[in-house]
Amino acid sequence: MRFSQLYNYEIAIFLSMIGFYVLVSRGNLVKKVAGLSMFQTSVFILYISMGVVQDGTVPILVDGVRVYSNPLPHVLILTAIVVGVATTAVALALIIRIKEAYDTVEEDEIHEQDRSF
Amino acid sequence: MSHWLPLAAFVPLVAGALTPAMARGRPGLARGWALAVTAFCTFATAALTRRVALEGPFSYAMGAWAAPLGIELRFDEFSAASLFICVIMLLVLVYSGPYVRRALPATRIDWYYSLLLINLGGMIGFVITGDLFNLFVFMELVAVSSYALVAVGGGRTAALAAFKYLVAGAVSSVLILFCIGVLHALTGSLNMADVARRLATVESRPPVLLALAGLTAGFLVKAGLFPVHVWLPDAHAIAPSPINAVSSALVVKLGIIGLLRIFPLFAAAGAVSLAPLFEALAWLGAISVLAGAFFALFQEDIKLMLAYSTISNIGYIVLGLGLAGELALTGAGVHILNHALIKATLFLAAGAMIHQSGHRTLHDLRGIGRAMPWTTLALLIGALSIVGLPPTAGFPGKWYIALGALESGRPGFAVVVLVGALIIFIYFARMLNAFYFRAPSHKEMLGVSEAPASMLGPVLLLGALCVLGGLLTHWPVALIAPAVGRLAGGE
Repeated sequence: MRFSQLYNYEIAIFLSMIGFYVLVSRGNLVKKVAGLSMFQTSVFILYISMGVVQDGTVPILVDGVRVYSNPLPHVLILTAIVVGVATTAVALALIIRIKEAYDTVEEDEIHEQDRSF
Repeated sequence: MSHWLPLAAFVPLVAGALTPAMARGRPGLARGWALAVTAFCTFATAALTRRVALEGPFSYAMGAWAAPLGIELRFDEFSAASLFICVIMLLVLVYSGPYVRRALPATRIDWYYSLLLINLGGMIGFVITGDLFNLFVFMELVAVSSYALVAVGGGRTAALAAFKYLVAGAVSSVLILFCIGVLHALTGSLNMADVARRLATVESRPPVLLALAGLTAGFLVKAGLFPVHVWLPDAHAIAPSPINAVSSALVVKLGIIGLLRIFPLFAAAGAVSLAPLFEALAWLGAISVLAGAFFALFQEDIKLMLAYSTISNIGYIVLGLGLAGELALTGAGVHILNHALIKATLFLAAGAMIHQSGHRTLHDLRGIGRAMPWTTLALLIGALSIVGLPPTAGFPGKWYIALGALESGRPGFAVVVLVGALIIFIYFARMLNAFYFRAPSHKEMLGVSEAPASMLGPVLLLGALCVLGGLLTHWPVALIAPAVGRLAGGE
């Protein structure tokens, strides 16, 4: 197995690390959520690429086609996307509340305000 | 009735989603609705637990599609935790009535009960599923509703604590999802029993190790073990008290039950040796026991102290898992259940004090033992249990774990168990001193009245269960013995 044969795995891990880096390094809460979304999406891509079957086609029964892609990972990811959307929605709603309370979405400024209390 | 198993998980989920619509324009209905649904689940899980005690584990094929192609629900001995989940949730709902009336804005009360029901359904589903992807979905149902519940009380810091919890929770969830994907790529299956069988034939080791490591790390974050606990204290101290009881007593345990579910996948195959992982878990657990207890010692805020004590107790359970002998695993299993009772008692009793007096630090709460004698009594029974003194519920778990440490020739870990208990005992003495023997810091403290009956009732009942849990240890031990045997024998 050569490196390039599993390029879908490498791309997914590369994307996830970018997302994770954004999540950890940015102080802006909205950017953190963007990083988190990217982190989640990279795993979705991994699943979807996993379902690919060489020379396979869309998994709809048609005459003359014998090789289909594996639809199971795609269905799973449909569920996972819903979960991801719910998480992102809750995160953004929380950020609105934080913004109301602190009048900022920058982590440093929030901590500064908490200290002065 | 063979359909009890799916109903136990899906009735609260559907009922939770319907709650806001049901209760619209009919204030007060939401609580009765939630109580009825939870009572149904308690009944269903009690029947299921009875069946597993008599017949052993059993499965249910969703939509009559047989495993491994269909989704399997499996009720084994550890799934009996769902009975504890239902009982505690029932008491929390009874307690919530007077509590939320003052603590929450009126418009949020329906949503509060709706989220609690979804949380309940997710937890029951998590412990009864036999499918890896279902495990993830139920875990997320619990997680997303928990994030919202932490923030439900409003207030300056609540949203921030919930956001912190969300980031930690979402990252660990994605890690778990990633590793389930790796396992699916390796085996082509998602059914736990089937994955365990097929992993045996997988030739390449590194991806199996990656999946094991990622799943373990992900579930440990969910459980709030010491080095990855940073989200836990704020989330568990700032939320409304009934939510603290649910999240601290039950939700963090799902991380542990997740570990109990995934280890057999790897152990049965013999694909990888679990011994080094268990060694690391034992050390992490021991560090968590001491660090959690140590941090708890310096807290003035009573709820923050209880949150750190949760970290310490999760440490005990992970230590028991790591030691991996039959005795230590029994201890871990019993402590999962008993700690749920104890922590619910503590948080609900502390919540009642805060609710009645408006104060939350030990200094401000001085003298409350005279104003609220029954609540204080329940809190102290809970505190005695968390120390682990016989004959309370905290004792058997810690005792078995210490015996397990001695059995496997690791007396150092037995010492850790003792030292952790001693440190918590210091905190217990501080509470006793503040509540009974110090002069009140606030004059009006003596005029505080005892909590209303629907708050005091659950607190006292849980206090009694804390004692009963210690006296009747042979029941849970006998119940989980076959599961522990399978777990210990599978290595």
